[in-house]
Amino acid sequence: MGYIHDTHMSQFIPPTAFHFSTATMTQIAGQVAGTISLHRAANNQTSLISIPVMIPSNSIALKGAYLVSVELDYENTTAVISTSMTPTVYSVARGADTAVAVVSTLPSTYTPVQANLLLQDQVKCTVTLTTPVWIDNDVYILVQFSLIAGGGGSTQEFLGAVANYTLRL
Amino acid sequence: MGYVTDTHMSQFIAPNLFHTAGATWTNVAGQVTSTIVRHVGAADQTVIVNVPVVIPSNSVALKGSKLVSIEVDYEILVAACDAFTAVLNKVTRGADTAVAVVTAPAFTQAPTAANSKTVDQHKLVVTLTTPAYIDNDEYYLLELTVDQALTTQVDFLGAVVNYELRI
Repeated sequence: MGYIHDTHMSQFIPPTAFHFSTATMTQIAGQVAGTISLHRAANNQTSLISIPVMIPSNSIALKGAYLVSVELDYENTTAVISTSMTPTVYSVARGADTAVAVVSTLPSTYTPVQANLLLQDQVKCTVTLTTPVWIDNDVYILVQFSLIAGGGGSTQEFLGAVANYTLRL
Repeated sequence: MGYVTDTHMSQFIAPNLFHTAGATWTNVAGQVTSTIVRHVGAADQTVIVNVPVVIPSNSVALKGSKLVSIEVDYEILVAACDAFTAVLNKVTRGADTAVAVVTAPAFTQAPTAANSKTVDQHKLVVTLTTPAYIDNDEYYLLELTVDQALTTQVDFLGAVVNYELRI
């Protein structure tokens, strides 16, 4: 039996896997021909964009995927975001039958700085866990961006995300 | 430390992960009981469907996934399409403030474009001329352009990506 420990694994997560709430979203072609996007219509509202981190998990401690960071590619197409765009990493421990899920927040940092996440431009936001985590089979991770559009509403196109992790099998 | 090279890896991609821009799409039961499909209704229109290739990538050269082929299962109902064509797009992600760059790797397909548009169940296999390892800053989209006749309907059941895993 072999043993794998690869610290350079990544997984593309298409925008069609994202979860959006309080937003009017449509599937359209991206600004660059040959790309795809989920388009958020302009509205002065707070939208939540949740990225499900679809990488392997494992029921044995210290095995499976060790999540390090998640990158989100998006574009603010018509105007700056007036207020804020803030990521939070949630670990969701699934409930047993008849029991609710339990959610905890995993400390994280992100780049570029907040002001640059709001620019009318292409944005690549990297959210890095302060302490990377092994994902148990009863746990999944959501990276949730809270987009407070503010005056003008602004529009976005979400191209996809990439999760970076260590794989140990 | 171990080392795995498995040349027979495959990944199912559910139809609800497909990107279906424009037109009227619905999630409905498939023609065969207990299957699922992404369905586009009848209209004389051209729709674009993108299949995201959701398999692992790796930042180290010659490691991770080596993409070999993509198979798409779909059914054309009522009337043949006017055309049904495929393009494979490789997207290199942009750095912060930079746009993505798209190239189109060469591939072969079976069955032919002419046979891909008939009223029938179809399994379209797109095979890269040169299989490629996927870098962590890249992803692949299989783009299908479906030119429907007035009464054509199409059900997409899903796709399977075939690749070599080296970790």
